[in-house]
Amino acid sequence: MSILINKNTKVLVQGITGKEGQKASAAMREYGTQVVGGVRPGKGGENVEGVPVYNSVKEAMSAHPDISTTTIYVPPFAAKEAILEAIENNIAIINTIVERIPIQDTAYCLAAAKEKNIRLIGPSSLGYISPGEGRVGVVGGPKILADEVFQPGSIGLISRSGGMTNELSWQIRKAGLGQSTAVHVGGDLLMGTTYADLLKLFEKDNQTKAVVIFGEHGGGYEFEVVEMIKNKEFTKPLAVYVGGKFATLFPEGMNVGHAGAIVGRGQSAEEKEHALKSVGALVADTYEELVEKIKIYA
Amino acid sequence: MNLYEFEGKNIFSKFGIKVPKSVLLRREDDIEKKYHELAIKSVVLKAQVLSGKRGKNNGILFASNIEEVKEAVEKIFATNIRGQYVAAVLMEEMLEIEEEHYLSIIYDTNKKQPVLIYSKEGGMDIEDVPHEKIEKHLLDIRQPEINFDIPFAQELWLCFLQSDTRLVEINPLVKTMSGEFVAADAKVAIDDDAFFRHKDWAFEPRTMLGRLPTERESAVGKIDEGENYYRGTAGKYIEMDGDIAVLFSGGGASIANMDALMKVGLKPANYTEYSGNPPREKVAQLAKLVLSKPGLRGLWIAGGVANFTDIAATFSGIIDALDEVKPTYPIVIRRAGPNEDEGKRLMRECAERNNLNLKIFGKEVAMGATATALVDMINSK
Repeated sequence: MSILINKNTKVLVQGITGKEGQKASAAMREYGTQVVGGVRPGKGGENVEGVPVYNSVKEAMSAHPDISTTTIYVPPFAAKEAILEAIENNIAIINTIVERIPIQDTAYCLAAAKEKNIRLIGPSSLGYISPGEGRVGVVGGPKILADEVFQPGSIGLISRSGGMTNELSWQIRKAGLGQSTAVHVGGDLLMGTTYADLLKLFEKDNQTKAVVIFGEHGGGYEFEVVEMIKNKEFTKPLAVYVGGKFATLFPEGMNVGHAGAIVGRGQSAEEKEHALKSVGALVADTYEELVEKIKIYA
Repeated sequence: MNLYEFEGKNIFSKFGIKVPKSVLLRREDDIEKKYHELAIKSVVLKAQVLSGKRGKNNGILFASNIEEVKEAVEKIFATNIRGQYVAAVLMEEMLEIEEEHYLSIIYDTNKKQPVLIYSKEGGMDIEDVPHEKIEKHLLDIRQPEINFDIPFAQELWLCFLQSDTRLVEINPLVKTMSGEFVAADAKVAIDDDAFFRHKDWAFEPRTMLGRLPTERESAVGKIDEGENYYRGTAGKYIEMDGDIAVLFSGGGASIANMDALMKVGLKPANYTEYSGNPPREKVAQLAKLVLSKPGLRGLWIAGGVANFTDIAATFSGIIDALDEVKPTYPIVIRRAGPNEDEGKRLMRECAERNNLNLKIFGKEVAMGATATALVDMINSK
């Protein structure tokens, strides 16, 4: 089993005719994921490497009512409209790769999605991959390289960073292990799907025996994890790295790394580590150590 | 971007939030003329800096005649407020204060929606106000109308929405002797990513460090401008005190690597990160600026196993800079991903023709370990 995606998942690509949309469509198909359609207003009836293009999400849905996931590849100023269109058409999971979406637009989409119980992954998320099952987005890169990094296994992975999703997956593979699902949640201030949301899914997933998280200073998301462990909602071994200790050199409110890494009071890397340790999470001092710490539980 | 108090107050008044009468003083201004322009005897003079605690650091002074005003302004411009650059002095009418309240709106990241925070006990850090004296109301971002019995709540909410802010704070929100509410201070942070719908955003240059941007920082800021601003960003450049130049790929890797660099005892000359498969030209411009800092002792170029960033293309940008600068200090590179063999080949050729002291690693070695390699090369020089 895996989380979020399996072999039967049918995916839509909004913005399929753009450069990034085409690349993502190809990357998913190459990895065996069923991309059944794309959207680009005004280009309905065309196709992108055999994938039919529709004028609207509604048109795509009536042709493929079993679409359960959509991916958003449009410029930041068009993102809100595209996400809302997906929500209106009740697509269960929306993966948004777009970076630099205004926070207000993200908040608006999240409010609309919440009412319909729709899951938003991102913004600024390269997607997620379940080795042997499929991938949404571009995590892992070209298949030939992805196959060097990913193999089915028992480690669940959550990362604020797209590059580190791949890098950490590689560290897992190098240690002779594999991944159940690796998710890039995105680095924005507001995260559609949080660590806690994913830990709930990993808890229920039989394939996943342990989870690693690449976190960052700033934001309060790690504290939700602390609460979950305290309430026994997550009981599997968990190793966490919280990057950004150097940020103490900068004043509060300074934004380094991802947009979400705005350091507020009580949310420094050290304070997060302390809270996580207090409930028994394994805290890694460097990202390389994550795999060292989790190895024995795989 | 954080705004100065006077900029925040300009925005507040557009939304009907009352602010004290004031004039802004720049270094070159005729203070006497401005004082007469304001035509108020007793005034407050406030340093315009980007972070707080100015009250405790002589950043706020009082005066009631021209001599006192001149003296105070001179003092404030000469003051170093925790390393912050004093951009201007705001001269305001002195308020007759009866009560000091607190009002703000920020994003609650756990609830993923804005929250309005109000207390009748303002004037101090809100963290120091007891919990039971603070009201919190979650707001629906889709509802511009709210209905709370809180002064300026509706005005501030519209300001938050229409000005695309990440944070608005009035502390203190003063109730005057005559029973009127006035925003005595303004803390506003705007969301830079919303710039495309705010053609009027033309704020003077600043850094989040509170100092003026250095020449290099301003130059890096220009690389990403233009209609393709979101396509492969040259990213961030923050000048620091150390002597090791860094060029990191990706926000997460950059954070892990900054930590790793400090851990091995090296000091960064800058913080720099590019991401999202930027074109060769953007990387070249960025790399040239990073290498232009005097006094460097080493260069660390590091990133994870890239997903879709073309390693040969980004390396070509870095090579353009290395060919020009020809550094004599040790260089360590760690990177993997699409087109890495071609990228490494180009990099080795560059090292050879420029006689560079350069080591290059792929994914067989973790990023942190290559920081140690750089230390060894520096020490054996």
